[in-house]
Amino acid sequence: MRGIFPQARFSRAWSVLGLGLAVLAVALYVGGQTLLTDLRVHWLTVVVFLAGVTVGELFRLRMPSGREAAPLASASALAIVFLGQVDGEPTFDVGAGFVVLVVAAGLLLAAVVRGYRGRTVGLDQVAARLVGVAAAAWLTREFAPRGHSLWGLEDYQDVSPWFVAIGMVTVAGVGIGVELVLASAVRSERQRTPWLAALRDEFGEGAPLTSAVVVSGPMVALMAPALGLLSLPVALFPLAITYLAVDRYAQNRVTYRQTIATLSHLTEEGGYTPAGHAERVADLGVRIGRVLGISDRELRELEYAALLHDLGQISLVEPIPGGATVLAAPTDQRDIADEGARIIRHAEGLDTVADYVEAQTTPYRQVRELGEEVPMASRIIKVANAFDDLTGGSDDPDQVRVANERIHLGLGYQYDPDVVEALAVATADTMVGRVEERQPAAR
Amino acid sequence: MPTEASPHEGGARRTTVATNTYVAMVAVVGASLTAAAIRFDGVQVDATLLVLLLLAVLSWLFGSVVVDGGRVTLSFHGIVLLAAMALVGPGGAGIVGMVLGPLQEAGAPLRARIFNTGMLATMGVVGGYAYIVAGGVPISDAPSGTSQIVLHIGIPLLVVDIVQFVVNVLLLAVVVRLAAGLSMRSQVAQILGATGPAHLGYGMIAFIMVVLWGPAGLGAASVFLILPPLVVAQWAYRQYAEEVKGHERALQVLVAAVEAKAPHLVGHSSRVAELSAAMADNLGLRSQVVADVRVAGMLHDLGLTTLPTSLVRSTGVVGGRGLQGYPALGVQLLRGMSFLSGALDAIAHHRDAVVGRADAAADLSMPSLVVGLADEYDLLTEVGTPDGVVVAREDAFEALRGTPAGREDLLRALEHALSRRAGVAG
Repeated sequence: MRGIFPQARFSRAWSVLGLGLAVLAVALYVGGQTLLTDLRVHWLTVVVFLAGVTVGELFRLRMPSGREAAPLASASALAIVFLGQVDGEPTFDVGAGFVVLVVAAGLLLAAVVRGYRGRTVGLDQVAARLVGVAAAAWLTREFAPRGHSLWGLEDYQDVSPWFVAIGMVTVAGVGIGVELVLASAVRSERQRTPWLAALRDEFGEGAPLTSAVVVSGPMVALMAPALGLLSLPVALFPLAITYLAVDRYAQNRVTYRQTIATLSHLTEEGGYTPAGHAERVADLGVRIGRVLGISDRELRELEYAALLHDLGQISLVEPIPGGATVLAAPTDQRDIADEGARIIRHAEGLDTVADYVEAQTTPYRQVRELGEEVPMASRIIKVANAFDDLTGGSDDPDQVRVANERIHLGLGYQYDPDVVEALAVATADTMVGRVEERQPAAR
Repeated sequence: MPTEASPHEGGARRTTVATNTYVAMVAVVGASLTAAAIRFDGVQVDATLLVLLLLAVLSWLFGSVVVDGGRVTLSFHGIVLLAAMALVGPGGAGIVGMVLGPLQEAGAPLRARIFNTGMLATMGVVGGYAYIVAGGVPISDAPSGTSQIVLHIGIPLLVVDIVQFVVNVLLLAVVVRLAAGLSMRSQVAQILGATGPAHLGYGMIAFIMVVLWGPAGLGAASVFLILPPLVVAQWAYRQYAEEVKGHERALQVLVAAVEAKAPHLVGHSSRVAELSAAMADNLGLRSQVVADVRVAGMLHDLGLTTLPTSLVRSTGVVGGRGLQGYPALGVQLLRGMSFLSGALDAIAHHRDAVVGRADAAADLSMPSLVVGLADEYDLLTEVGTPDGVVVAREDAFEALRGTPAGREDLLRALEHALSRRAGVAG
């Protein structure tokens, strides 16, 4: 069982966890008195929605970038927030506290199962979700401007169901928004990426999926007066289709990366470059990119370009000793980069990647003095490549220090100072810039 | 939706007349059924019908997504038509079908548009009555309560879904048989496998839409709740389809790497890929095998990239002749890629198919023989010796006859593939 609690030095993660616990405590305080009565009256409803949250949380979706979402759990949680009349069951007339307790129970149950199976739990993520749900529950059931809460409007005859539906979707959006803001705060701290960049990625990549989640909760509550508890599985059905589609899309990304990685092995198998060099440069490059807050899309292309940065060596008649381009003559470096870019351009759609590969040898001086445009991704690859060539892939502290020093000597002339600073952050801590919480096996 | 199939593939003049007659018949039947339903049961031209028609146009704008060779399809057509049966009755569903029919992807032939208009109208009317027969009630008398809704909306919609599907498959299978001369049974099986699951999904979504519209009292607002998940699913599948295409293009980079290493092989990989695939097709291999053979032909020389450049380019060594072991190196590079697993065997053994003793062929797989033969033929006739000497077609065949892969059936397939290539080029 790993990754349950955040590491001690991540203060934001602890804050979010604390916030989640505080929400839970308040829910217990306000919902505690009627807890047993509510449970007795609504036990079947509670069981159904608890199951929805738990199962949804167990089927998390890994997005192409590696972040996780639990659309079915979020939708189930939001559904119980709005639930009012339920055909065949007593009207779900409970306080926000009770709702939060039910959702918390589902989330914790799933966390226990995940932990038991040895999967990552990430209690801070779970806490962020709970806080988001609590916000939505409070807005729906307790917040009552002019004496009318949104929940109270649901079975009001003179209010148009349109109005109620729009209100529910808005509140659901706020709830999910709160969760994403908290989650991105934690992530930005863990990856040392700027919060705004993390927030942009969180909203950007998840946006289509989130919009589907936001309507699914209200859909359940609106159908429940007519269709009863059956409305939960029925309404989750379209979301499940979405889930499968996004999952398929994410998995294809994985095989695509396999193809690109195979290309990086060509020069390694031929003995032109040291084994694992391209993968290490890609890994380090992406982490530096995260520290600098570049976008998801650019990160992906940076990763591909880093994997392929030495591809041009394939047609060299005489291999460079050790494959270390940092030690090669500048014109040779440039020829290799150009040849690599030429090969990559054979595939449509990889043009940006080819551009990055092509520009990787340009010294930073030319950006500064001649105003030449060199993409940030290329500058990052240049630094990551030099670092790996100099350390030979070792994470021995002495070698890392020497490599950092040598790169510092080229500061401003060869290398972009911002990138070198990010390199220092990334090499000081192997956790920086990683999506997964677990410790990497080897750098 | 299987209704997208366009009955325009090939066919002799005789069948064209039959097809046209049939298409006209379907169109007339659809229009008559709709007119009859309106005449006898009436139709209410109200906001509901208008919203459905609007949705029909929207579903056309969103288009349909087909991925995984048709195993996953997603379009809103089926959902709109199904919902129409419950919301506006047989006559209204017929009208919706007639609007859906002609709205197809740009470039669809007129005949296909007319056919679909007739077919969708027929499906709408027949489905609308099937809904009533199965116990369905119009939403104006919307039932409430779980069991009532399931009995009077859910189950009837499921029945209609199945009826609609069967009508669709039958009408379509006939037209494909007439136009393309394919056997009806295999057509039905193919359509069933391709779109059966999707159809059940449409039924479920139409059910949600009807429940939200009627019993839940949302009316047209239900559209705004039901659309986002569908649009997102479509978006994701579209992205996926794009990426699959991009993925195939990325394989081109592997070929480019081979050609950078061995400039005399420029064009060789893609020629071998096409030739091998055409041979496999001619030999009647399954479509997955044909695809694997094509990839194997494309990447058969990949192992060359890991050899020293000077060795690969040195005189006397052409396209791997004289180089030992490079196929195994290629396989080693590709081993981790799950989607290429079917091609590995042919890459590993394509050289064994043309060097060595003739009885060695018994141990080799068909794909290996095909790729080996296509490779050797191209080396002889197109790549040539280091001095650029190529041999004529007849001489190449003579040389190939002596190799393990030089069996009559394979040589015939090669001959056929070559004439097909010449035909395309001409």
